[in-house]
Amino acid sequence: MSEPRALGPRKVVGTPVARPKRTPAVQGYVPEIARGLGITMSHFFRNAKEMALGQRNDPVLDGISDGVNTISYPEQRRPYPERFRGVHRLTHREDGSPRCVACLCCSTACPAQCIYIEPAEYPVGDKRRGYERFPVRFVIDELRCVFCGFCVEACPCDAIRMDTGVHAAPYDSREQFIFEKDLLMSFTGRDGSQESQNPRHEPGDKGYPGIDRTKAH
Amino acid sequence: MTGIDYLFAFGKAFFVVMFAMNVAVLLTWADRRYGALLQDRVGPQRAVVWLPRRVAQGLAFLPAVAVAVGALFFAEANKEDVQSRGGNAVLLAQGAIFITWFTGLVIAGSVKARGPRSSFDAFIQSLGDPRVFFYGGLVAHVGVLLVAGLLRGSSAGEVFVDVEYRGGAGLFAAAVLSGALYAVLQMKDEKIGLRLLGLLHPAADGLKTAFKEDFIPPNADRFLHSIAPMISFFPALVVLGTVPFGDTLCFGEATSDVNLGPISFIKTGHLDPSKLLSMVPRNGICPDHAVKLQVVDLNIGLLYFFALAGTGIVGAALAGWSSDNKYSLLGGLRAASQMVSYEVTLGLTLIGAVMMYGTLRIDEMVRWQAENVWGIFVQPLGFVLFFAASVAESKRIPFDLPEGESEIVAGYYTEYSGMKFAMFFFAEYVAVVTSSALMAAIFLGGWSLPFFARDGLHIAIGGNELFVQQMPQATIVVLGVLGFVVKTIALCMIQLTIRWTLPRFRYDQLMRLGWRKLLPASLANLIVTGLAILAIQSAGPSVTQALGVVSDLTQAFVAVGGIAVVVLFIRFLLAPAEHRRVVSSTSAKFAALAGGTHTARMSA
Repeated sequence: MSEPRALGPRKVVGTPVARPKRTPAVQGYVPEIARGLGITMSHFFRNAKEMALGQRNDPVLDGISDGVNTISYPEQRRPYPERFRGVHRLTHREDGSPRCVACLCCSTACPAQCIYIEPAEYPVGDKRRGYERFPVRFVIDELRCVFCGFCVEACPCDAIRMDTGVHAAPYDSREQFIFEKDLLMSFTGRDGSQESQNPRHEPGDKGYPGIDRTKAH
Repeated sequence: MTGIDYLFAFGKAFFVVMFAMNVAVLLTWADRRYGALLQDRVGPQRAVVWLPRRVAQGLAFLPAVAVAVGALFFAEANKEDVQSRGGNAVLLAQGAIFITWFTGLVIAGSVKARGPRSSFDAFIQSLGDPRVFFYGGLVAHVGVLLVAGLLRGSSAGEVFVDVEYRGGAGLFAAAVLSGALYAVLQMKDEKIGLRLLGLLHPAADGLKTAFKEDFIPPNADRFLHSIAPMISFFPALVVLGTVPFGDTLCFGEATSDVNLGPISFIKTGHLDPSKLLSMVPRNGICPDHAVKLQVVDLNIGLLYFFALAGTGIVGAALAGWSSDNKYSLLGGLRAASQMVSYEVTLGLTLIGAVMMYGTLRIDEMVRWQAENVWGIFVQPLGFVLFFAASVAESKRIPFDLPEGESEIVAGYYTEYSGMKFAMFFFAEYVAVVTSSALMAAIFLGGWSLPFFARDGLHIAIGGNELFVQQMPQATIVVLGVLGFVVKTIALCMIQLTIRWTLPRFRYDQLMRLGWRKLLPASLANLIVTGLAILAIQSAGPSVTQALGVVSDLTQAFVAVGGIAVVVLFIRFLLAPAEHRRVVSSTSAKFAALAGGTHTARMSA
């Protein structure tokens, strides 16, 4: 146990710090004010001129240099990298229906559990019936999504992609972040297409990799 | 009073109110947006009005047509007026030169920024750097003035005046029209965004406040709470009533009502408006009808200002008391004590100026300064003290203790919202405008410009006339009003810069500055002024003559300094911006491929 501290004011230990030098100019206040105003004005005039004449920095290209570096979003945007994961889209087949076969791989892989799929069978007589299903509903809660891209990795049909280049926009209410199938299918990739680069073979096509209805198993 | 007197009374009041309110809006805009710029931020500039292309083209072209036709019409109508022909010729020639180089400069600047798009653009670019236009224009301005001065009186001078008169009007119209046409041809987009450098933002904000909830605390005194913003706003606006914004207008005496054409229902009485465009004698005495360009011609002048400016305190104090909030009360108390303290300095510093000018009427003060020397040269200390005290009076940084956010939330307007808050806010800016206008009138010569007299430009040092240019009365008055506006806005800008620069005082520092520094300094100023006046009065005529020469020299100093500032400013504007180009990150490389962030589209 240490010694009990004596009552009363403690003696302050420390080295004295020299007061800043106060010249008459500093004490006079007005010259220093004028100097401060000068600094303010130099910044003001340079930035105002560059804004008005459109000579601003490009904050990405010029690095963070002197002057106004703010991007006037949304007129000016910082370009996203090529492999940026944006809002999801559902790719189309050639006939405009979704490529998705409702296998539930993506919703299973999703760590945020933000994908909900309601699968259904094709009607009797459809050539796809028995081979694959289709999603009656395909819902993504973009607020829950963590943009990990696992759904894209998991998809066996290249039916879900995140190459729209669009980040999730701010909306007014939570309901607006629930993206339904129609909305997801309306997005395009950065190249503007709604399909996928990978070819797809329908049942009955030549070279269809899956089981063939005409052959007995 | 006849119809035209009512028209003048209304027009003057309208001008003053519009001037104060619009400059206050401009200041709000500058304070938010340009206050952000000096911190390397963009600031509010989002508000935009989208115009269809045709409308935008019309907005660009039709006013230009009106201006061009007006100039040609003016030249045609005054062709026979021999007396003021020389003055009009100079006016037209200088205007034409100005418009020409300015249009060329703007076009060259935009061509340089975005590259040539047409053969005309290429031609403009081949003429050289945009700066060439400015310096060429400057040389043309001075050259034409010099040639006109040298040739005066000779027969060649007559020819030159003729060339100036006709060629000036033609060139003016042509330059205005071609500039507007070029702008119209550049508008290719379907809709043009009208952003006005972000000027629409305060308008949008003002509109927004009108729709916001008007919250009154449950235990507040509803009546006083509602009336306080008005008490604060009203005096700030009406003190401009006695400040003259232009020289006296001299009208001729008519025997009967003059027909005013389309507005002939307004009775003119014995007033002849046509004399406005002719010259008046230099001594400034109007034999017939004189209309003073100030709203009320009060013989108490400055006292009216003090009486009303002090009333603003009541609004702040009432707001603080009626809000039923201890922070508001603290803010109201601070506002009251601060404004009472600085009111003393405010009054005492002006006593020196009143002693100097020998009058309380602000218009006579301005006239004294026009004839002798600007107030800032005879009362420099008075100007600095008055400036500090009036910044304190308008409760702005560094004197914004009554609304110190870090200590008492928002001071006396903590409990205000919506339009009532906006009125307090706006009153502050209007107070800035009115105090600047008063300072411009008392210390910076009001509407008087160096070497301008009632009948034209007389550049003279100590009685030796170096240059004389006769001008019609309307030109002189309009130039004077513009000068007053420029002086007021310059003072406002200094007040804004102070707000952007200085930190807030502590309350004891504020009181110490007011009572122990500014007050004694203003008393000293008073004594020194009195002694100086006595010394000058008892000195002989040679001293008076020497002082006259010195006052002419100060005018020359102001004139040369003003022109130098303008030239340096334009030179600064034309200097190319230099940015370091550092492409380092992958994002930057990607952006460089995409053409930069500034032009990148949404999908990136």
